[in-house]
Amino acid sequence: MKKKAGRRSLVTLTTAALALSLLAGCGGNNSGNNSTSSETDGNAGTAVKTDSSTATPADTGIDTSKKVELQFYMLGDAPKDLPVIQEEINKMAQEELNATVKFNYTSWTDWDQKYKLLLSSGQAIDLIFTADWTQYQSYAKRGAFLAIDELLPKAAPELQKFVPESMWEDVKVDGKIYTVPATYKEYVTNGFVWREDLRKKYNLPQPTDLASYEAYMDGIAKNEPDMMPMSLNSDIGNNLHYIYTELNKMVGALPYGMGVKYESPATVYTYWGSDEQKEELKTMKRWADKGFIPKNVLNIKDTMQDPVTSGKAASMFGDNPTRYNDMKMKISTTHPDWELGYYPFGKTTGYATPVHPIHNGFAIPKNSKNPERALAFYQKLVLDKRYNQLTEYGIEGKNYTVEDGYYKLVGTSQSNGFSREGMNGWAWRNPEFMLFDKGFDGVKAIFEELDKIQKPDLFLGFAEDYSSYQAEKAALEQVEKQYLFPLEAGLVDDIDKGLETFMQKAKQAGLEKIQAEWTKQWNAYVAEKGIK
Amino acid sequence: MHIKDDHYTRMLQGLAYTVIILGSLACLIPFLLIISASLTANDSIIKDGYHFIPAQFSLEGYKTVFTFPDEVLRAYGVTLFTTVTGTVLGLFFMTMAGYVLARKDFKYRNTFSFYIYFTTLFGGGLVPWYIMMTKYLHLTDSYGALIFPGLMTPFLIILMKNFIRSAVPEELFESAKIDGAGDFKIYWRIVLQLSMPGIATVGLFLALAYWNDWFSSSLFINDPHKYQLQFHLYNVINSAAFIANMGAGTGVSLGADLPTESTKMAMAIVVTGPILFLYPFIQRYFVKGLTIGAVKG
Repeated sequence: MKKKAGRRSLVTLTTAALALSLLAGCGGNNSGNNSTSSETDGNAGTAVKTDSSTATPADTGIDTSKKVELQFYMLGDAPKDLPVIQEEINKMAQEELNATVKFNYTSWTDWDQKYKLLLSSGQAIDLIFTADWTQYQSYAKRGAFLAIDELLPKAAPELQKFVPESMWEDVKVDGKIYTVPATYKEYVTNGFVWREDLRKKYNLPQPTDLASYEAYMDGIAKNEPDMMPMSLNSDIGNNLHYIYTELNKMVGALPYGMGVKYESPATVYTYWGSDEQKEELKTMKRWADKGFIPKNVLNIKDTMQDPVTSGKAASMFGDNPTRYNDMKMKISTTHPDWELGYYPFGKTTGYATPVHPIHNGFAIPKNSKNPERALAFYQKLVLDKRYNQLTEYGIEGKNYTVEDGYYKLVGTSQSNGFSREGMNGWAWRNPEFMLFDKGFDGVKAIFEELDKIQKPDLFLGFAEDYSSYQAEKAALEQVEKQYLFPLEAGLVDDIDKGLETFMQKAKQAGLEKIQAEWTKQWNAYVAEKGIK
Repeated sequence: MHIKDDHYTRMLQGLAYTVIILGSLACLIPFLLIISASLTANDSIIKDGYHFIPAQFSLEGYKTVFTFPDEVLRAYGVTLFTTVTGTVLGLFFMTMAGYVLARKDFKYRNTFSFYIYFTTLFGGGLVPWYIMMTKYLHLTDSYGALIFPGLMTPFLIILMKNFIRSAVPEELFESAKIDGAGDFKIYWRIVLQLSMPGIATVGLFLALAYWNDWFSSSLFINDPHKYQLQFHLYNVINSAAFIANMGAGTGVSLGADLPTESTKMAMAIVVTGPILFLYPFIQRYFVKGLTIGAVKG
């Protein structure tokens, strides 16, 4: 009896083992294929290597005797011609670094979740895009990336020299470098965008500050009743509130109702509930009453730009120079009789901040198997013109041509498999090799103007650590959505009462704890960086 | 012989027809709106909004979709492949599992049942699942990642087990054994034949799950050539919205033409169209399967 049971359990065990091996077989088969293919590649690789080792001596002091495949992770969608570009790049990288690269893309759909999974699952990734809006600082703080301070002089000495010392300093988190910043200087500060032809037609004032902008919209509302005076959508925080505070010389897009003025960065105050905020809410209420802000604004899902380019809206409260220029170029082909005007906020406030080095970069995740080769390859991408232009613009003659020094796309962006910066390679832009579309001259002119009044971005170097108030933060976000957004969109009749309710709910959500902790962190940051 | 309908029957019929007509209108109207929008010029959609009759007729949306039909077609291929393979394999595995668990003489029946049942209550969550799929099974960028997760759905196994238990009398196993049939033969020749309605039901659930799946593509597939249809569509619409809304803070150029409203709608029609035409023809099999499953004789 006992013996029989034993046999039976043996049978179940074997079946289970068989079933498992079946599953493992399927999975293993896959990786088996990979290893064999890379093995054959490896042989070819070493063959090439021995050929070329005398011709092109490695320009870095790293060991390249073993062939590797680098895993490169980018945000967004891959361009159609990526396989061709990847092959071209790999031909060169194979020869010079004995490495090949696989460019992987996350697609824009739920990219933040995938980004988190990529970094938290411990996958072997060699290079990954970083930016302030991908939470570079917080991932760096939590140890997701490899500190590259010591690797740089060994694997990418040229790159280390190429990036200015101050930039390396600026991207440091807790005293260590975790990302290679981009050196291309651009401004993503806001500015008024308006229909210049309509302004001339009705003899309206040019928007240069809040008052003149309001006067412009008044004129539009009176003369063009069918038009929306300003383009808006449900993203109130970004499209009304932060633009308003930028115009009022606040430092960056500060969370949790904190307030820091650019002139006195060491002083933190509470913006929510202050007279200054009441002024903002009153302005928005007035705008809503005048019909500038539609009643259903919280349900509008359109893009901000479409209504302007199609003639439904007459202005935008704020947009950055590059996107303004895109709109202008689009309009010049679809409605040549229209005109767009632009007035950067920098001229109103007296200063403009170029993007912080954290805004575009590449990091090596801590699970990378080949950090040295990854960095050496990245150096090629930035400093070798062939690598750089191939990955930024595609193949010359096929994807683009150069006319009088200007970049020109072959065909249309629909028919061409690689449009300008089609690989989303914003991070390895090299100002020396950059090619611009003729239409970009307008942006350059604005940039030059802003260069004269530039001041450093104080906010982005700040690495917030919200681990101690994560629950409160989530609760507060809900409260903001429910009680603050309608206020900021001017939809609440009684501002004082609405603000009171919001403050009360925010306090229940733990606002004071968050603010105290945030203030502490900000003060530490200001002291560390010597900002006064 | 013709029985004349009495007053109440006719009233009931009238009422029933009204309700059904209203109900189907409620389902049809949004769809008509999509069709109309897909035939409207994009500028007119932004300016005047959606209308049932295109304010400005244009085939631009469809033209854009069909300039490069290969992407849509390839996504179709992937979805078709995963749906067929997944459904066939999944049915095999799940009927096997259901059969084994339905056999009373299988000693570890309860242990296994509990194990399967347990997973419906407590899952590991997203991150462990992701790690399992990518790090241990190395399924990134393979069709396996799209097919495997659905093969052994606990709920469907339990359904199958219960169905087999009710549809196949236990005595059959014994009599088949006496006639010299092995376990596999019993499964293949007897259990499968008798549980067709159950198989149809489970198969329908499975096929729909595979057809509508986009999450696996989203997590495990980096190669756009292996995107499933639903994810391809979702991604096209989403990336456009994302790039356009990325906000003033990023300075990403809108250089590339984003799909316009009418293109999105045209794509929705192209993606759903074939299934819409196919459905009336295969629907009756589903109905039959489901009703036989519902009536236990």
